This record gives sequence, structure tokens and C-alpha cells, in this order.
Amino acid sequence: MNDFAKKLFQDSKLAKETTPVVVSSRIRLARNLADFKFVKYACKGDLHAVAERCEKILSSCSIFTNNTILNMGDLLDYEKLALVERHLCSQEFIMENNESKLFFTDDHLTSIMINEEDHLRMQVFRPDLNFKTMFDKINAIDDHVSENLNLAFDNRYGFLTACPTNVGTGMRASVMLHLPALVITKQIGNLILAVQKLGFVVRGLFGEGSEAQGNFFQISNQQTLGFAEVDILSRLTQIIRSIIEYELNAREIVKKERIIWLYDNIGRALGILRGCYCLTSIDAINCISLMMLAVDLGYLPNTLRGDLHQMMMKIQNSHMQVLENRVLNGGERDIKRAELLREFFATVPNLKFD
Amino acid sequence: MEKCQFCGKPATVHMTQVINNKTTVIRMCNECASKHGLFDKEGLPFAMLSGLGEALFSGMKQNLSANGLICSKCGCTPMSFKETGRLGCPHCYKDLKLLIDGIIESSQKGTIHKGKYSREGAMAATMNATGSFTDTSAKKSPRRLSTKERLNELQEMLDAAVKAEQYEEAARLRDEIKNLKGSEGVS
Repeated sequence: MNDFAKKLFQDSKLAKETTPVVVSSRIRLARNLADFKFVKYACKGDLHAVAERCEKILSSCSIFTNNTILNMGDLLDYEKLALVERHLCSQEFIMENNESKLFFTDDHLTSIMINEEDHLRMQVFRPDLNFKTMFDKINAIDDHVSENLNLAFDNRYGFLTACPTNVGTGMRASVMLHLPALVITKQIGNLILAVQKLGFVVRGLFGEGSEAQGNFFQISNQQTLGFAEVDILSRLTQIIRSIIEYELNAREIVKKERIIWLYDNIGRALGILRGCYCLTSIDAINCISLMMLAVDLGYLPNTLRGDLHQMMMKIQNSHMQVLENRVLNGGERDIKRAELLREFFATVPNLKFD
Repeated sequence: MEKCQFCGKPATVHMTQVINNKTTVIRMCNECASKHGLFDKEGLPFAMLSGLGEALFSGMKQNLSANGLICSKCGCTPMSFKETGRLGCPHCYKDLKLLIDGIIESSQKGTIHKGKYSREGAMAATMNATGSFTDTSAKKSPRRLSTKERLNELQEMLDAAVKAEQYEEAARLRDEIKNLKGSEGVS
């Protein structure tokens, strides 16, 4: 394994400590330096100066001592994409320019993009719904940054951002949820509409809003101006708590009314994972989603939960290429994915249905 | 079958956006959707303001008639914003105020910042164990640099600009330093 692969595959706390229903949560703050054009309009020299300044200030922030700083221009395409798969940076970030840098901590719980759409995009993650801890952490980093850099701030508009849809708090909070039972019972459509009406955005984990892809949904605030950070976070927390309750109720209903269907689907999925020789990413994620449900319902040991999340990362296209240290074409990826899954699921015990 | 609003091919992506109880539906083919950043995991549907602006912000059109606006610092105009979906610099919030206020009114919860460092100081909040927040309202404001610090900063920027052979930027910085020294009587 090369150095990059080691950084990427080091034990992620996020995967290890994940909980049922809530897969992970994130808070992101967008900040810009007052004296420079926004990234899209800035010249190379400006971007370079922004990167240097930000790097200097961030390096002096205690959370980033002895951690990783990557110059995005130095990375291969699939290495960049693997960082996106890990959610350490955004798709937009890796397409933009060569003056961008990425900071992240060994536990993968904090990352900072320099020169994304805004000069600074700072984010913290957690495997649960504890927004207080996350907010304290990101706020401390933001305090350090705003004490040491001249940030673009206006008394009326708040923190100024390249897109007015981020202005104000510059904060986006999101939660990744695993909602298989709401999908099975076909309640998910109504839920998405209800959440949207409350001013929050729902998207799929791998692409937009598709129910077919592993039953993962990300919910985040749409508006950033007009309320305080804490208000956004407590509203989101409330909404997520209700959704968790709906999902858990739906699981009870499925167990009561469609138990044979449930056993059949989970049993077949494990069969596929143990016996596959060529598996697409979508099929794999759908099967793993059912294994996660099996863990939550007690059909597989609890200790597997973290491993399943690690597996889900590992079988993504760019992760496999980092692991193999070369470019893999579509067919090769499906074969490699099947190999990784077969190996892992051979060690997984048999299902214990009630 | 519905057609893509942008290129007329069959639409496969249907996006429903609800802002302040107003529902807008946009239909797109896969290609146009990805072009507008709809599949960007990090961004939100809004990031694709580019080109979708009109469809999304139909209520904003009157303001767009203020097409003569231009940012005196970076040259950004309502047109370039429509193309890229991004503003040019912090100063745009002053010079393109008309455009920006329209967008903010149709997309945001309010028009005045109430978060960190705001006058209302709804900051330094803490959340109790059950997850609801309490507000300790610490009043703060972002640090304003002293003239001397600001001069040092500008000088550093100037050096960087010269090093990067950004002479236009360097000239701008040189003028700014001159102005600042003049206004503060610093020699």
C-alpha cells in the first residue's frame, strides 16, 4: 500500500462507530477572505496567495498538527475521486483548479477544502446525531480562522459566499440516513415531500434521490440566512428524530406483515454477496443495505455494523483503484468488487432469523 | 414522455423545489442534470443556479431588468452571475445588491444574518443533553484589523502578487496601501 492508500484506508471512526438509521452527520461552514475575488473569478496568483495564507493559519490550529495536507494538483484522478467517495471533499473541489489543498485529520472526522467554490469549506463529521459536539468543534476552528484572517463578513448579510444561497451562516448541516423500511413500505415519497416543505433538501447517497440505491438518503438545510446556526441545527435534529421514529415503526410493520418477504430478500442478498463473481456497484450497495438491516434486526451480530460500512467504502470504484494502485475499467471493477465481497462475506456467520 | 427543459430530449430527472411554499418543477435529461451539478454529492440542487436561474427564480425577473449593474471591484454583472451561478467577489454584495436581494428573498428564510457575529448575537450557543439548544447570546464581532496589521497584510499580498507576476493585482494593492497610509497619516 502506498502512502496515499494508507491515509485513505486508515481506520475511519465514522465507519466504526456508526449507528442504525443515522449513518453519519456533517456540518460544513463556507468562508472567504475579504481581500480576494471568489475562487471562480480569481486568477492563479490570487488562488495561490489564498492557499498559502489559509494553509499557514490552519497549520497553526491545534487540530491539524501532524495531520494530512494534500495538494490536489499532485494527485491522480482516481485518488481525488476516492477522497470524494470518503466525503472528505466535494466533486466540485476536484474539478476546479490546481491551487486547491485539502486538510484532513487521521480519524477522517475533520476536513478543510481550500479553494473550492469558496476559499474555505470546513467540515466536521460524526457517526451519530450529536450536533452539539460537532458544532463546538467546527466553531472553535472557525474562531481560530476568523481571528487570524480577514474574512468577508457583512453586518446585514453575514458571511459572504460565492453563491448567495450559502450566505449568512455559510452553514450546511446534513445527515445521512439508512431508511430501508420506509422504502419497502413505500412511505419514502411522502416523507421526502414533507421534508422539502419544511425547507430541507433530500438527496440520495449515490446520485439524486434514487430509491434503488441502497436506501440511503441525505437530508440537509436549504436556507442559510435568516436564522442562527443553533436554530438550523435544532430544527434538523427534530426532523431527523421524527424520521428515525417513522423508520423504526415501518420496520415493525414489515416484520409483522411481510416477514417471509423480508427473510427471502435478506437471505438472497447474502447469497449473492457470498457467491458473486461480477457485481455492479448498485447491486452491491443494495445487498449491503439489506445486510445492514439484518444487523439492525438482530439477524447478524452487531459487531458487523462497522465492517459493513467499511466494505461499502472499499468497493467503490476509486477506492478499489487506489487499493490496486492502477486504473481499472468497468468490467475489471465489477470482478474486483465481487472478489472483495466474496472474501469478506465468507467470514460472516449465517443468518439467525427469529 | 416529458421533455428536458434545456435540450428537448426525453426527461429522466424531475426536480421539485419548494421554497417558501412555492413549488417549482424542473425536468431534465441525465446529461443536462449532471451539467447543472445535480449529481454533485456535496452541492445542493441550488448549486446549479447556472442556467437554471430562470426556471428556478422566475419571480426574480423584474430585478434582473436592472441589467446595467456591474461590480466596481471585479466586473461581475447579473449576466455573468447567471452564466456561472457564482458572484465575483465580496464587494458584489454591495454593487449588485438589487440582484442579490432578489435571489435572497426568493430562496432564503430571511434577509438579515442572525447567526455567528450577528448584532443579535445568537452565538456561543450550547445544546443540552436532549439535543435542544439554549442560547447564551455572547456578543462578538469578527475581528477588525488595526491599520498597522492591515498594512502588513497588504504588503504581504503585494509581495505575493509580484512573485506570482500578477502586476495588475500588485498595482491595485500598491494603491490601496498608499490610500490607507494617506488616510491614517502613517508614514
